[in-house]
Amino acid sequence: MRLKRRNSGLLKYFFLFAITIIAIIPFYLVIVIAFKGSKEIFSGNYLLPSLTPRLENFKIVFESAPFVRYMINTIIVVFGILLMQLAVVIPAAYAFARMKFRGANFLFILFIIQIMLPLEALVVPNYQIVRSAGLYNTLIAMMLPFIGSGYGTFLLRQSFKQIPKDLEDAAIIDGCGHFRFIWNVLVPLSKPTIVTFSLISIATHWNDYIWPLIITDSQKVRTLTIGLGMFVQQESGADWGVLMAATLFISLPIVLLFLALQKTFLESFLTSGMKG
Amino acid sequence: MKTKLYRGYQPFLFLLPALVFIAIFTYYPIGYSVYYSLHSQNLFSPQPVFTGLSNYMMMMKDPIFWTVVWNNVIYGVFTIFPTMIMALLLAILIDESKRFKAFFQLGLFYPLLIPMAAAAMIWVFMLDANLGIINKALRIFGLPEPGWLGSDKSSLWALIIMAIWKNLGYYMLIFLAGLQSIPKYLYEAAEIEGAGWFRKHLTITIPLVSPSTIFVFIVSVIQSFKVFTQIHLMTKGGPGYSSNVLVYYIYENAFRYWDIGMASALTSVLIIFLLFLVVLIFGFFSRRVHYSLT
Repeated sequence: MRLKRRNSGLLKYFFLFAITIIAIIPFYLVIVIAFKGSKEIFSGNYLLPSLTPRLENFKIVFESAPFVRYMINTIIVVFGILLMQLAVVIPAAYAFARMKFRGANFLFILFIIQIMLPLEALVVPNYQIVRSAGLYNTLIAMMLPFIGSGYGTFLLRQSFKQIPKDLEDAAIIDGCGHFRFIWNVLVPLSKPTIVTFSLISIATHWNDYIWPLIITDSQKVRTLTIGLGMFVQQESGADWGVLMAATLFISLPIVLLFLALQKTFLESFLTSGMKG
Repeated sequence: MKTKLYRGYQPFLFLLPALVFIAIFTYYPIGYSVYYSLHSQNLFSPQPVFTGLSNYMMMMKDPIFWTVVWNNVIYGVFTIFPTMIMALLLAILIDESKRFKAFFQLGLFYPLLIPMAAAAMIWVFMLDANLGIINKALRIFGLPEPGWLGSDKSSLWALIIMAIWKNLGYYMLIFLAGLQSIPKYLYEAAEIEGAGWFRKHLTITIPLVSPSTIFVFIVSVIQSFKVFTQIHLMTKGGPGYSSNVLVYYIYENAFRYWDIGMASALTSVLIIFLLFLVVLIFGFFSRRVHYSLT
Protein backbone atom coordinates (compact mmCIF):
# COMPACT_ATOMS: atom_id res chain seq x y z
CA MET A 1 0.00 0.00 0.00
CA ARG A 2 2.69 2.38 1.07
CA LEU A 3 4.92 1.42 -1.80
CA LYS A 4 2.07 1.86 -4.26
CA ARG A 5 1.36 5.37 -3.05
CA ARG A 6 5.00 6.34 -3.33
CA ASN A 7 5.12 5.01 -6.88
CA SER A 8 2.07 6.97 -7.97
CA GLY A 9 3.66 10.05 -6.37
CA LEU A 10 6.77 9.51 -8.44
CA LEU A 11 4.68 9.02 -11.55
CA LYS A 12 2.98 12.37 -10.95
CA TYR A 13 6.32 14.15 -10.63
CA PHE A 14 7.60 12.41 -13.71
CA PHE A 15 4.57 13.60 -15.67
CA LEU A 16 4.88 17.18 -14.37
CA PHE A 17 8.59 17.31 -15.16
CA ALA A 18 8.04 15.89 -18.65
CA ILE A 19 5.37 18.46 -19.58
CA THR A 20 7.23 21.39 -18.00
CA ILE A 21 10.47 20.51 -19.79
CA ILE A 22 8.65 20.24 -23.12
CA ALA A 23 7.16 23.68 -22.43
CA ILE A 24 10.61 25.14 -21.71
CA ILE A 25 12.33 23.72 -24.81
CA PRO A 26 11.24 26.54 -27.19
CA PHE A 27 12.71 29.26 -24.99
CA TYR A 28 15.83 27.21 -24.38
CA LEU A 29 16.29 26.89 -28.13
CA VAL A 30 16.00 30.66 -28.67
CA ILE A 31 18.71 31.34 -26.12
CA VAL A 32 21.05 28.67 -27.49
CA ILE A 33 20.56 29.51 -31.15
CA ALA A 34 20.81 33.27 -30.72
CA PHE A 35 24.53 32.71 -30.03
CA LYS A 36 25.27 30.34 -32.92
CA GLY A 37 26.51 30.83 -36.47
CA SER A 38 24.44 29.57 -39.39
CA LYS A 39 26.88 26.78 -40.30
CA GLU A 40 26.52 25.22 -36.90
CA ILE A 41 22.74 25.47 -37.07
CA PHE A 42 22.45 23.96 -40.55
CA SER A 43 24.63 21.04 -39.51
CA GLY A 44 21.67 20.07 -37.33
CA ASN A 45 23.63 19.76 -34.10
CA TYR A 46 22.33 22.88 -32.41
CA LEU A 47 20.90 21.44 -29.21
CA LEU A 48 23.80 22.21 -26.89
CA PRO A 49 25.07 25.72 -26.12
CA SER A 50 28.20 26.74 -28.01
CA LEU A 51 31.43 26.85 -26.08
CA THR A 52 32.28 30.09 -27.86
CA PRO A 53 29.04 32.13 -27.94
CA ARG A 54 28.78 34.27 -31.04
CA LEU A 55 27.76 37.82 -30.16
CA GLU A 56 27.91 38.92 -33.75
CA ASN A 57 24.25 37.93 -34.34
CA PHE A 58 23.15 40.77 -32.08
CA LYS A 59 25.45 43.21 -33.84
CA ILE A 60 23.85 42.28 -37.17
CA VAL A 61 20.36 42.74 -35.71
CA PHE A 62 21.07 46.27 -34.51
CA GLU A 63 22.88 47.25 -37.69
CA SER A 64 20.18 46.09 -40.09
CA ALA A 65 17.06 47.44 -38.35
CA PRO A 66 16.40 50.25 -35.81
CA PHE A 67 15.54 47.92 -32.94
CA VAL A 68 16.48 50.50 -30.31
CA ARG A 69 13.98 52.93 -31.86
CA TYR A 70 11.36 50.12 -31.87
CA MET A 71 12.11 49.45 -28.21
CA ILE A 72 11.66 53.10 -27.23
CA ASN A 73 8.38 53.28 -29.17
CA THR A 74 7.13 50.10 -27.52
CA ILE A 75 7.95 51.41 -24.06
CA ILE A 76 6.15 54.70 -24.75
CA VAL A 77 3.07 52.93 -26.13
CA VAL A 78 2.88 50.27 -23.42
CA PHE A 79 3.27 52.64 -20.49
CA GLY A 80 1.09 55.27 -22.15
CA ILE A 81 -1.69 52.69 -22.41
CA LEU A 82 -1.22 51.54 -18.82
CA LEU A 83 -1.25 55.03 -17.28
CA MET A 84 -4.32 56.11 -19.22
CA GLN A 85 -6.05 52.81 -18.47
CA LEU A 86 -5.51 53.26 -14.74
CA ALA A 87 -6.68 56.88 -14.94
CA VAL A 88 -10.05 55.94 -16.45
CA VAL A 89 -10.53 52.47 -15.00
CA ILE A 90 -9.99 53.28 -11.31
CA PRO A 91 -12.80 55.87 -11.10
CA ALA A 92 -15.13 53.60 -13.10
CA ALA A 93 -14.38 50.62 -10.88
CA TYR A 94 -14.98 52.87 -7.86
CA ALA A 95 -18.42 53.87 -9.10
CA PHE A 96 -19.41 50.26 -9.80
CA ALA A 97 -18.03 48.92 -6.53
CA ARG A 98 -19.04 51.56 -4.01
CA MET A 99 -22.01 53.51 -5.43
CA LYS A 100 -25.57 52.46 -5.99
CA PHE A 101 -27.34 54.20 -8.84
CA ARG A 102 -29.95 53.59 -11.49
CA GLY A 103 -28.60 52.04 -14.67
CA ALA A 104 -25.55 50.60 -12.91
CA ASN A 105 -26.28 47.06 -14.09
CA PHE A 106 -26.87 48.09 -17.68
CA LEU A 107 -23.66 50.12 -17.80
CA PHE A 108 -21.71 47.30 -16.18
CA ILE A 109 -22.93 44.91 -18.87
CA LEU A 110 -21.63 47.33 -21.52
CA PHE A 111 -18.19 47.03 -19.90
CA ILE A 112 -18.41 43.22 -19.71
CA ILE A 113 -19.47 42.85 -23.35
CA GLN A 114 -16.43 44.91 -24.31
CA ILE A 115 -14.23 42.16 -22.83
CA MET A 116 -15.83 39.68 -25.22
CA LEU A 117 -15.28 41.87 -28.30
CA PRO A 118 -11.51 41.97 -28.80
CA LEU A 119 -10.04 44.67 -31.00
CA GLU A 120 -9.00 41.98 -33.48
CA ALA A 121 -12.67 41.63 -34.42
CA LEU A 122 -13.09 45.40 -34.81
CA VAL A 123 -9.92 46.39 -36.66
CA VAL A 124 -11.63 47.49 -39.87
CA PRO A 125 -14.00 50.12 -38.41
CA ASN A 126 -11.38 51.24 -35.88
CA TYR A 127 -8.88 51.71 -38.68
CA GLN A 128 -11.33 53.91 -40.56
CA ILE A 129 -12.28 55.91 -37.48
CA VAL A 130 -8.70 56.54 -36.35
CA ARG A 131 -7.59 57.28 -39.89
CA SER A 132 -10.38 59.80 -40.48
CA ALA A 133 -9.42 61.50 -37.20
CA GLY A 134 -6.03 62.18 -38.82
CA LEU A 135 -4.13 59.98 -36.40
CA TYR A 136 -2.75 57.44 -38.88
CA ASN A 137 0.87 56.54 -38.20
CA THR A 138 1.13 58.14 -34.76
CA LEU A 139 2.09 56.72 -31.38
CA ILE A 140 -1.16 57.91 -29.80
CA ALA A 141 -3.21 55.96 -32.36
CA MET A 142 -1.60 52.76 -31.12
CA MET A 143 -2.83 53.47 -27.57
CA LEU A 144 -6.36 54.83 -27.98
CA PRO A 145 -8.48 51.68 -28.55
CA PHE A 146 -7.12 49.96 -25.45
CA ILE A 147 -7.66 52.67 -22.85
CA GLY A 148 -11.27 51.99 -21.85
CA SER A 149 -10.53 48.54 -20.49
CA GLY A 150 -13.58 46.52 -19.48
CA TYR A 151 -11.29 43.86 -18.07
CA GLY A 152 -9.44 46.33 -15.84
CA THR A 153 -12.71 47.81 -14.62
CA PHE A 154 -13.99 44.34 -13.80
CA LEU A 155 -10.85 43.26 -11.92
CA LEU A 156 -10.56 46.44 -9.87
CA ARG A 157 -14.25 46.48 -9.06
CA GLN A 158 -13.92 43.00 -7.54
CA SER A 159 -11.00 44.19 -5.47
CA PHE A 160 -12.60 47.48 -4.35
CA LYS A 161 -15.73 45.60 -3.29
CA GLN A 162 -13.80 43.54 -0.75
CA ILE A 163 -12.69 46.56 1.21
CA PRO A 164 -14.89 46.87 4.33
CA LYS A 165 -17.58 49.52 4.43
CA ASP A 166 -16.40 50.63 7.87
CA LEU A 167 -13.23 52.03 6.36
CA GLU A 168 -15.27 54.19 4.01
CA ASP A 169 -17.50 55.44 6.82
CA ALA A 170 -14.46 56.29 8.93
CA ALA A 171 -12.87 58.11 6.02
CA ILE A 172 -16.05 60.12 5.38
CA ILE A 173 -16.29 61.10 9.03
CA ASP A 174 -12.69 62.31 8.76
CA GLY A 175 -13.84 64.54 5.92
CA CYS A 176 -12.27 62.51 3.15
CA GLY A 177 -13.62 63.19 -0.36
CA HIS A 178 -14.07 60.63 -3.12
CA PHE A 179 -10.71 61.15 -4.68
CA ARG A 180 -8.76 61.18 -1.45
CA PHE A 181 -10.57 58.01 -0.40
CA ILE A 182 -9.67 56.32 -3.70
CA TRP A 183 -6.07 57.48 -3.61
CA ASN A 184 -5.31 56.99 0.10
CA VAL A 185 -7.41 53.94 0.94
CA LEU A 186 -8.65 51.92 -2.04
CA VAL A 187 -5.55 52.07 -4.23
CA PRO A 188 -3.03 51.08 -1.53
CA LEU A 189 -5.28 48.28 -0.27
CA SER A 190 -5.80 46.95 -3.82
CA LYS A 191 -2.13 47.01 -4.68
CA PRO A 192 -1.83 43.29 -5.55
CA THR A 193 -4.73 43.53 -8.01
CA ILE A 194 -3.34 46.72 -9.54
CA VAL A 195 0.08 45.10 -9.95
CA THR A 196 -1.53 42.02 -11.52
CA PHE A 197 -3.60 44.10 -13.92
CA SER A 198 -0.59 46.26 -14.81
CA LEU A 199 1.51 43.21 -15.55
CA ILE A 200 -1.22 41.68 -17.73
CA SER A 201 -1.71 45.00 -19.53
CA ILE A 202 2.01 45.47 -20.17
CA ALA A 203 2.44 41.90 -21.43
CA THR A 204 -0.66 42.14 -23.63
CA HIS A 205 0.32 45.40 -25.30
CA TRP A 206 3.99 44.53 -25.57
CA ASN A 207 2.63 41.71 -27.74
CA ASP A 208 0.13 43.76 -29.81
CA TYR A 209 0.48 42.99 -33.46
CA ILE A 210 -2.53 43.48 -35.72
CA TRP A 211 -3.34 47.03 -34.59
CA PRO A 212 0.18 48.52 -34.88
CA LEU A 213 0.54 46.61 -38.16
CA ILE A 214 -2.38 48.32 -39.87
CA ILE A 215 -2.22 51.74 -38.21
CA THR A 216 1.47 52.48 -38.90
CA ASP A 217 3.59 52.58 -42.02
CA SER A 218 6.94 54.02 -41.02
CA GLN A 219 9.88 52.94 -38.90
CA LYS A 220 9.66 56.08 -36.80
CA VAL A 221 6.59 54.85 -34.91
CA ARG A 222 6.82 51.08 -35.33
CA THR A 223 6.98 48.80 -32.29
CA LEU A 224 9.12 45.74 -31.58
CA THR A 225 6.71 43.04 -32.72
CA ILE A 226 6.11 44.74 -36.07
CA GLY A 227 9.83 45.42 -36.34
CA LEU A 228 10.51 41.72 -35.91
CA GLY A 229 7.93 40.85 -38.57
CA MET A 230 9.52 43.29 -41.05
CA PHE A 231 12.99 42.07 -40.15
CA VAL A 232 12.03 38.50 -41.04
CA GLN A 233 10.82 39.53 -44.48
CA GLN A 234 13.91 41.63 -45.05
CA GLU A 235 16.26 38.80 -43.98
CA SER A 236 14.46 36.16 -45.99
CA GLY A 237 17.63 34.09 -46.32
CA ALA A 238 16.74 32.71 -42.89
CA ASP A 239 19.88 33.16 -40.86
CA TRP A 240 18.34 31.53 -37.82
CA GLY A 241 21.04 32.75 -35.44
CA VAL A 242 20.28 36.37 -36.32
CA LEU A 243 16.50 35.85 -36.24
CA MET A 244 16.67 34.20 -32.84
CA ALA A 245 18.86 37.03 -31.54
CA ALA A 246 16.13 39.50 -32.55
CA THR A 247 13.46 37.22 -31.09
CA LEU A 248 15.32 37.02 -27.80
CA PHE A 249 15.76 40.79 -27.75
CA ILE A 250 12.04 41.50 -28.04
CA SER A 251 10.98 38.78 -25.54
CA LEU A 252 13.54 39.25 -22.81
CA PRO A 253 12.29 42.53 -21.25
CA ILE A 254 8.82 41.14 -20.64
CA VAL A 255 10.11 37.85 -19.22
CA LEU A 256 12.50 39.71 -16.89
CA LEU A 257 9.75 42.07 -15.73
CA PHE A 258 7.58 39.10 -14.91
CA LEU A 259 10.35 37.36 -13.01
CA ALA A 260 10.88 40.52 -10.95
CA LEU A 261 7.18 40.78 -10.07
CA GLN A 262 6.25 37.11 -10.07
CA LYS A 263 5.78 36.85 -6.31
CA THR A 264 3.16 39.58 -6.12
CA PHE A 265 1.60 38.36 -9.33
CA LEU A 266 1.28 34.70 -8.36
CA GLU A 267 0.10 35.53 -4.85
CA SER A 268 -2.58 37.89 -6.04
CA PHE A 269 -3.55 35.57 -8.86
CA LEU A 270 -3.82 32.52 -6.66
CA THR A 271 -5.54 34.09 -3.68
CA SER A 272 -8.06 36.54 -5.06
CA GLY A 273 -7.55 38.19 -8.41
CA MET A 274 -9.00 36.21 -11.25
CA LYS A 275 -11.97 34.50 -9.74
CA GLY A 276 -14.98 36.32 -11.18
CA MET B 1 -25.05 52.09 7.31
CA LYS B 2 -26.30 51.00 3.89
CA THR B 3 -24.73 51.93 0.60
CA LYS B 4 -26.15 55.29 -0.36
CA LEU B 5 -28.37 55.42 -3.44
CA TYR B 6 -27.01 58.14 -5.65
CA ARG B 7 -29.73 59.97 -7.52
CA GLY B 8 -27.73 62.68 -9.21
CA TYR B 9 -25.13 62.66 -11.93
CA GLN B 10 -22.20 61.99 -9.60
CA PRO B 11 -21.62 58.26 -10.38
CA PHE B 12 -21.72 59.06 -14.09
CA LEU B 13 -18.90 61.55 -13.71
CA PHE B 14 -16.71 58.71 -12.45
CA LEU B 15 -17.78 56.48 -15.31
CA LEU B 16 -17.63 59.09 -18.04
CA PRO B 17 -13.96 58.87 -19.10
CA ALA B 18 -14.02 55.08 -19.45
CA LEU B 19 -17.43 55.18 -21.12
CA VAL B 20 -16.26 57.70 -23.72
CA PHE B 21 -13.40 55.41 -24.76
CA ILE B 22 -15.59 52.31 -24.83
CA ALA B 23 -18.23 54.14 -26.84
CA ILE B 24 -15.78 55.42 -29.45
CA PHE B 25 -13.66 52.27 -29.86
CA THR B 26 -16.15 49.45 -29.25
CA TYR B 27 -19.79 50.46 -29.71
CA TYR B 28 -19.50 53.10 -32.39
CA PRO B 29 -17.34 50.73 -34.53
CA ILE B 30 -20.07 48.09 -34.30
CA GLY B 31 -22.61 50.49 -35.81
CA TYR B 32 -20.00 51.64 -38.30
CA SER B 33 -19.36 48.15 -39.66
CA VAL B 34 -23.06 47.29 -39.85
CA TYR B 35 -23.58 50.52 -41.84
CA TYR B 36 -20.70 49.84 -44.26
CA SER B 37 -21.68 46.18 -44.62
CA LEU B 38 -24.83 47.40 -46.38
CA HIS B 39 -22.75 49.39 -48.86
CA SER B 40 -20.40 48.56 -51.63
CA GLN B 41 -17.05 50.26 -51.15
CA ASN B 42 -14.00 48.86 -52.90
CA LEU B 43 -11.40 49.71 -55.52
CA PHE B 44 -14.11 49.93 -58.20
CA SER B 45 -16.44 52.15 -56.22
CA PRO B 46 -14.34 54.23 -53.80
CA GLN B 47 -17.46 56.07 -52.57
CA PRO B 48 -19.85 53.87 -50.59
CA VAL B 49 -22.96 52.93 -52.56
CA PHE B 50 -25.95 51.40 -50.80
CA THR B 51 -26.40 47.82 -51.93
CA GLY B 52 -28.54 46.31 -49.18
CA LEU B 53 -27.69 42.76 -48.24
CA SER B 54 -25.66 41.98 -51.34
CA ASN B 55 -22.37 41.70 -49.40
CA TYR B 56 -23.98 39.11 -47.15
CA MET B 57 -25.39 37.23 -50.16
CA MET B 58 -21.95 37.11 -51.75
CA MET B 59 -20.43 35.94 -48.49
CA MET B 60 -22.88 33.05 -48.17
CA LYS B 61 -22.15 31.94 -51.73
CA ASP B 62 -18.39 32.20 -51.28
CA PRO B 63 -16.89 28.73 -50.61
CA ILE B 64 -13.76 30.35 -49.19
CA PHE B 65 -15.84 31.97 -46.46
CA TRP B 66 -17.13 28.56 -45.38
CA THR B 67 -13.63 27.08 -45.46
CA VAL B 68 -12.45 29.90 -43.22
CA VAL B 69 -15.35 29.42 -40.78
CA TRP B 70 -14.73 25.66 -40.70
CA ASN B 71 -10.99 26.19 -40.08
CA ASN B 72 -11.81 28.53 -37.23
CA VAL B 73 -14.20 26.01 -35.68
CA ILE B 74 -11.62 23.20 -35.95
CA TYR B 75 -8.96 25.49 -34.51
CA GLY B 76 -11.28 26.46 -31.65
CA VAL B 77 -12.48 22.98 -30.74
CA PHE B 78 -9.03 21.41 -30.86
CA THR B 79 -7.31 24.15 -28.91
CA ILE B 80 -9.99 24.78 -26.29
CA PHE B 81 -10.81 21.28 -25.05
CA PRO B 82 -7.37 19.62 -24.99
CA THR B 83 -5.84 22.71 -23.37
CA MET B 84 -8.56 22.89 -20.72
CA ILE B 85 -8.35 19.20 -19.82
CA MET B 86 -4.56 19.26 -19.62
CA ALA B 87 -4.57 22.52 -17.67
CA LEU B 88 -6.96 21.14 -15.06
CA LEU B 89 -4.97 17.93 -14.73
CA LEU B 90 -1.72 19.87 -14.33
CA ALA B 91 -3.30 22.23 -11.79
CA ILE B 92 -4.48 19.28 -9.67
CA LEU B 93 -1.06 17.61 -9.83
CA ILE B 94 0.79 20.81 -8.99
CA ASP B 95 -1.59 21.51 -6.14
CA GLU B 96 -0.92 18.04 -4.74
CA SER B 97 2.84 18.17 -5.14
CA LYS B 98 5.03 19.42 -2.34
CA ARG B 99 8.18 20.33 -4.20
CA PHE B 100 9.19 22.19 -7.39
CA LYS B 101 5.86 24.05 -7.42
CA ALA B 102 7.39 27.35 -8.52
CA PHE B 103 9.40 25.61 -11.25
CA PHE B 104 6.31 23.95 -12.71
CA GLN B 105 4.26 27.14 -12.51
CA LEU B 106 6.88 29.35 -14.16
CA GLY B 107 7.90 26.76 -16.74
CA LEU B 108 4.32 26.32 -17.87
CA PHE B 109 3.23 29.96 -17.61
CA TYR B 110 6.06 31.79 -19.37
CA PRO B 111 4.85 31.04 -22.95
CA LEU B 112 1.93 33.41 -22.39
CA LEU B 113 4.40 36.28 -21.87
CA ILE B 114 6.47 35.66 -25.00
CA PRO B 115 5.14 38.00 -27.70
CA MET B 116 3.20 36.00 -30.27
CA ALA B 117 5.41 37.46 -32.99
CA ALA B 118 8.47 36.04 -31.21
CA ALA B 119 6.76 32.73 -30.50
CA ALA B 120 5.91 32.49 -34.20
CA MET B 121 9.62 32.79 -35.12
CA ILE B 122 10.58 30.09 -32.64
CA TRP B 123 7.90 27.72 -33.90
CA VAL B 124 8.72 28.29 -37.56
CA PHE B 125 12.18 27.05 -36.65
CA MET B 126 10.94 24.14 -34.54
CA LEU B 127 8.44 23.10 -37.22
CA ASP B 128 10.97 23.23 -40.05
CA ALA B 129 10.52 19.96 -41.94
CA ASN B 130 14.22 19.03 -41.99
CA LEU B 131 15.97 21.11 -39.37
CA GLY B 132 13.19 21.42 -36.81
CA ILE B 133 13.35 19.72 -33.45
CA ILE B 134 9.84 18.27 -33.79
CA ASN B 135 10.55 16.25 -36.91
CA LYS B 136 13.97 15.34 -35.48
CA ALA B 137 12.20 13.81 -32.48
CA LEU B 138 9.67 12.02 -34.69
CA ARG B 139 12.55 10.65 -36.76
CA ILE B 140 14.16 9.13 -33.68
CA PHE B 141 10.97 7.23 -32.92
CA GLY B 142 10.51 6.29 -36.57
CA LEU B 143 7.20 8.14 -36.80
CA PRO B 144 5.91 9.82 -39.98
CA GLU B 145 7.16 13.39 -40.41
CA PRO B 146 4.47 15.87 -41.49
CA GLY B 147 5.42 18.84 -43.64
CA TRP B 148 3.82 21.08 -40.96
CA LEU B 149 3.56 24.68 -42.23
CA GLY B 150 4.38 23.71 -45.79
CA SER B 151 1.52 21.26 -46.20
CA ASP B 152 -2.19 22.03 -46.44
CA LYS B 153 -2.94 18.91 -44.41
CA SER B 154 -0.91 19.91 -41.37
CA SER B 155 -0.58 23.72 -41.29
CA LEU B 156 -3.68 24.27 -39.17
CA TRP B 157 -2.62 21.48 -36.80
CA ALA B 158 0.81 23.04 -36.37
CA LEU B 159 -0.92 26.26 -35.26
CA ILE B 160 -3.16 24.29 -32.90
CA ILE B 161 -0.18 22.61 -31.21
CA MET B 162 1.52 25.96 -30.81
CA ALA B 163 -1.64 27.50 -29.29
CA ILE B 164 -1.85 24.71 -26.71
CA TRP B 165 1.74 25.43 -25.65
CA LYS B 166 1.05 29.17 -25.48
CA ASN B 167 -2.07 29.05 -23.28
CA LEU B 168 -1.67 25.91 -21.19
CA GLY B 169 0.12 27.57 -18.27
CA TYR B 170 -2.29 30.49 -18.10
CA TYR B 171 -5.33 28.22 -17.84
CA MET B 172 -3.45 26.01 -15.38
CA LEU B 173 -2.94 29.05 -13.11
CA ILE B 174 -6.62 29.97 -13.29
CA PHE B 175 -7.58 26.42 -12.31
CA LEU B 176 -4.95 26.42 -9.57
CA ALA B 177 -6.53 29.59 -8.18
CA GLY B 178 -9.93 27.90 -8.29
CA LEU B 179 -8.62 24.83 -6.46
CA GLN B 180 -7.50 27.01 -3.54
CA SER B 181 -11.12 27.82 -2.72
CA ILE B 182 -12.24 24.18 -2.37
CA PRO B 183 -12.34 23.26 1.34
CA LYS B 184 -9.77 20.59 2.21
CA TYR B 185 -12.12 18.72 4.58
CA LEU B 186 -14.16 17.53 1.62
CA TYR B 187 -11.16 15.57 0.36
CA GLU B 188 -10.41 14.24 3.83
CA ALA B 189 -13.99 13.03 4.20
CA ALA B 190 -13.83 11.38 0.78
CA GLU B 191 -10.58 9.63 1.70
CA ILE B 192 -12.10 8.28 4.91
CA GLU B 193 -14.95 6.90 2.83
CA GLY B 194 -12.32 5.13 0.75
CA ALA B 195 -12.57 7.20 -2.43
CA GLY B 196 -9.58 6.86 -4.78
CA TRP B 197 -7.80 9.67 -6.61
CA PHE B 198 -10.05 9.64 -9.68
CA ARG B 199 -13.25 9.33 -7.71
CA LYS B 200 -12.21 12.22 -5.44
CA HIS B 201 -11.53 14.59 -8.27
CA LEU B 202 -14.48 13.47 -10.35
CA THR B 203 -17.01 14.11 -7.60
CA ILE B 204 -15.43 17.01 -5.72
CA THR B 205 -12.92 18.91 -7.84
CA ILE B 206 -14.68 19.03 -11.19
CA PRO B 207 -18.04 20.36 -9.92
CA LEU B 208 -16.51 22.79 -7.44
CA VAL B 209 -13.94 24.24 -9.81
CA SER B 210 -16.67 25.14 -12.32
CA PRO B 211 -16.42 28.93 -11.85
CA SER B 212 -12.83 28.69 -13.08
CA THR B 213 -13.93 26.36 -15.86
CA ILE B 214 -16.42 28.86 -17.23
CA PHE B 215 -13.87 31.66 -16.97
CA VAL B 216 -11.26 29.61 -18.86
CA PHE B 217 -13.86 28.58 -21.42
CA ILE B 218 -14.87 32.16 -22.15
CA VAL B 219 -11.26 33.34 -22.35
CA SER B 220 -10.33 30.50 -24.69
CA VAL B 221 -13.31 31.01 -26.98
CA ILE B 222 -12.33 34.66 -27.40
CA GLN B 223 -8.69 33.63 -27.92
CA SER B 224 -9.59 31.24 -30.70
CA PHE B 225 -11.63 33.80 -32.62
CA LYS B 226 -9.04 36.56 -32.45
CA VAL B 227 -6.11 34.51 -33.71
CA PHE B 228 -4.14 36.57 -36.24
CA THR B 229 -0.46 37.22 -35.50
CA GLN B 230 0.83 33.69 -35.96
CA ILE B 231 -1.19 33.26 -39.17
CA HIS B 232 0.22 36.49 -40.59
CA LEU B 233 3.79 35.53 -39.71
CA MET B 234 3.78 31.76 -40.18
CA THR B 235 1.38 30.73 -42.94
CA LYS B 236 -0.40 33.78 -44.45
CA GLY B 237 -3.48 31.58 -44.25
CA GLY B 238 -1.95 28.93 -46.48
CA PRO B 239 -1.01 26.76 -48.17
CA GLY B 240 -4.08 27.69 -50.19
CA TYR B 241 -6.71 28.55 -47.62
CA SER B 242 -5.84 25.65 -45.31
CA SER B 243 -5.01 27.79 -42.29
CA ASN B 244 -7.06 30.89 -43.00
CA VAL B 245 -9.33 32.01 -40.15
CA LEU B 246 -11.95 34.73 -39.69
CA VAL B 247 -9.86 37.66 -38.47
CA TYR B 248 -7.17 36.93 -41.05
CA TYR B 249 -9.77 36.73 -43.80
CA ILE B 250 -11.22 40.07 -42.65
CA TYR B 251 -7.71 41.55 -42.75
CA GLU B 252 -7.15 40.23 -46.29
CA ASN B 253 -10.44 41.61 -47.54
CA ALA B 254 -9.84 45.03 -46.00
CA PHE B 255 -6.12 45.60 -46.41
CA ARG B 256 -5.15 43.48 -49.40
CA TYR B 257 -8.21 43.62 -51.63
CA TRP B 258 -9.47 46.93 -50.15
CA ASP B 259 -13.02 45.62 -50.20
CA ILE B 260 -14.33 47.57 -47.20
CA GLY B 261 -17.94 46.53 -47.79
CA MET B 262 -17.13 42.83 -47.64
CA ALA B 263 -14.70 43.29 -44.72
CA SER B 264 -17.44 45.15 -42.82
CA ALA B 265 -19.97 42.41 -43.54
CA LEU B 266 -17.50 39.80 -42.25
CA THR B 267 -16.83 41.96 -39.18
CA SER B 268 -20.56 42.25 -38.50
CA VAL B 269 -21.00 38.49 -38.75
CA LEU B 270 -18.11 37.92 -36.35
CA ILE B 271 -19.53 40.44 -33.86
CA ILE B 272 -23.01 38.92 -34.00
CA PHE B 273 -21.52 35.50 -33.54
CA LEU B 274 -19.44 36.59 -30.52
CA LEU B 275 -22.43 38.32 -28.90
CA PHE B 276 -24.56 35.24 -29.52
CA LEU B 277 -21.88 33.15 -27.84
CA VAL B 278 -21.80 35.47 -24.84
CA VAL B 279 -25.55 35.12 -24.35
CA LEU B 280 -25.34 31.35 -24.82
CA ILE B 281 -22.47 30.89 -22.39
CA PHE B 282 -23.94 33.05 -19.67
CA GLY B 283 -27.43 31.60 -20.14
CA PHE B 284 -26.11 28.07 -19.95
CA PHE B 285 -23.73 28.46 -17.07
CA SER B 286 -25.66 30.83 -14.86
CA ARG B 287 -28.26 28.10 -14.40
CA ARG B 288 -25.83 25.25 -13.79
CA VAL B 289 -22.99 26.83 -11.91
CA HIS B 290 -22.98 28.33 -8.50
CA TYR B 291 -21.45 31.51 -9.72
CA SER B 292 -22.39 35.08 -10.26
CA LEU B 293 -20.68 37.82 -12.11
CA THR B 294 -21.72 40.65 -9.87
